[in-house]
Amino acid sequence: MSNTSENPKPSSSSAKMTLKTSDNELFEVEEAVAMKFCTVKQYFEDEKDSDVAARGSTTVIPLPNVHSAVLATLISYGKKLPQSNAVADNHEEEETKKKERKKYEQGLLKNLMPGELLDLISAANYLDFKEGLEFFNQALADHIQNKSVEYVRKFFGIKNDYEPHEEEKYREEYAWAFEGVDED
Amino acid sequence: MEGGMDFLNCLDLDMSLQILMYLKDPSDLARVSSVSRSWRDFVIANGLFKQLCLRMFPQLSRVARVMELNKCGAKEPVEVGSSYSTEWESLARNHRVYATLARVCTSFLPEDCISKAISASSTDNYPEESIENTLRPADIVPHRPLYWSSKGQKNPAVPETLIYKLKSEFCVITEIKIRPFEAYFQPGSPIYSAKSVRFQMGHPKSPNDLGSRLLGDPLPSADDTFIWTYTSPEFPMAQESCLQKFTLPEPVLCIGGILQIELLGRVQTQEVDGLFYICMSYVRVMGRPLSPALRVEILEPSGTFVLKKDMQGKFHTQPGLPENEAREIPNDRWQRRIRYLQHFVDILQGNANVVEIEEYESGEEEDEAEEEYPL
Repeated sequence: MSNTSENPKPSSSSAKMTLKTSDNELFEVEEAVAMKFCTVKQYFEDEKDSDVAARGSTTVIPLPNVHSAVLATLISYGKKLPQSNAVADNHEEEETKKKERKKYEQGLLKNLMPGELLDLISAANYLDFKEGLEFFNQALADHIQNKSVEYVRKFFGIKNDYEPHEEEKYREEYAWAFEGVDED
Repeated sequence: MEGGMDFLNCLDLDMSLQILMYLKDPSDLARVSSVSRSWRDFVIANGLFKQLCLRMFPQLSRVARVMELNKCGAKEPVEVGSSYSTEWESLARNHRVYATLARVCTSFLPEDCISKAISASSTDNYPEESIENTLRPADIVPHRPLYWSSKGQKNPAVPETLIYKLKSEFCVITEIKIRPFEAYFQPGSPIYSAKSVRFQMGHPKSPNDLGSRLLGDPLPSADDTFIWTYTSPEFPMAQESCLQKFTLPEPVLCIGGILQIELLGRVQTQEVDGLFYICMSYVRVMGRPLSPALRVEILEPSGTFVLKKDMQGKFHTQPGLPENEAREIPNDRWQRRIRYLQHFVDILQGNANVVEIEEYESGEEEDEAEEEYPL
């Protein structure tokens, strides 16, 4: 789980934290990444206040609502985000990182089942992981935006409970909405 | 595979709403409503079309209620029954009306929405330099430059305003185009532009106030006659006599059909009297009139309004033509202008007779005080 950044980090950010998932798996995560999960950050700060323990102590933070597979993905995504404490890159390095991130994001979404996507959204919400939530919410919305009704039904497994004449009437009234969508 | 991938069921309400807020195109929301009855009910119950419209047009925050008018223009009967069904019917009505509004405001060819000129804050020579002149591109009336001129002022900070009535009391406006006037018959061809410009939209306090008045008389107090519900940012104006485009940061709903152009800061003095003037030759307000299919009724004094959808009403027919009238001055006009100027030069140099003016009649435009210059 080594960080790919070449730049020397300021001392405090090498600290790690341990997160425990609902299926009792332990994940060691760098503080910088874990702090993007605001729920974790809050827990950690509460702990710190009450304990006066040194930073980077071996507190295990329980996440009973998050499964390991989901957490792994969220951590992986969190690492790819620009780190707030990293030394500023020059423009070229920044561009390269952006491209890498785009590629990673595309790969991530490509094989994502709707159920997994929903789990990621729920977990990101629970963890208060703003960037992750935005990313996965948008990914979900992308399966609706400009997609045909048939595609949406199929992707989300929705049963069409309209009466045929009812549906036809609706489609007539809103004919303008049905032009030019991806059938996919 | 679980049946629970329907995110509207799986995720909590806030999250589902957040996701659906990513859909900015009304077509997406309309299709979401046709996926299934429960999806449609979700969209209706949470007023998603209304939310979409409110995000696009904050001016809608003052909607008091929504009405649908049937064939005879009568209000659809309110359902007598349980309060639940009345409330549902109201939500369903909102759904239909706001869907229509969202659709027509996001998919149209902009056209000029000015119906007529109402008033200018001052006019130098009425009617020759009336605000009426800004409604026509200059070339329509040959041999005579058409423009509005303010009165002269010593202080360049004195602003001017031009007020117009739009084709409908309910319009969506995207941009305003203005061409400052260049007095090419004055030495140096001064351009009487303004430093910057700002736009306001609103409605008359009382519909009867506009009545019959000479356009030459400014309204006693425009701010007392109209209520402005939208003010645009200030746009710098170029000192050029081309048709300048001022695109609003977002399309705006003009509720009440009145638009005011504020011309801020004078830049050009007239050589003859040393006073600062502002003159504009052409104004266009681009957007789409929404009546008769969608209308508003303003409820004074609250300033709220009723949004009405006429089930049988059609939309103002779109012209369908590319807008090509309001371009910069075409070539042949330049030619005429150059010949005219050349002729004057010839007169000054004693090379020509006054009677030989080919394009312009000698006496005509020299009667406006502003245009004279010593020969």
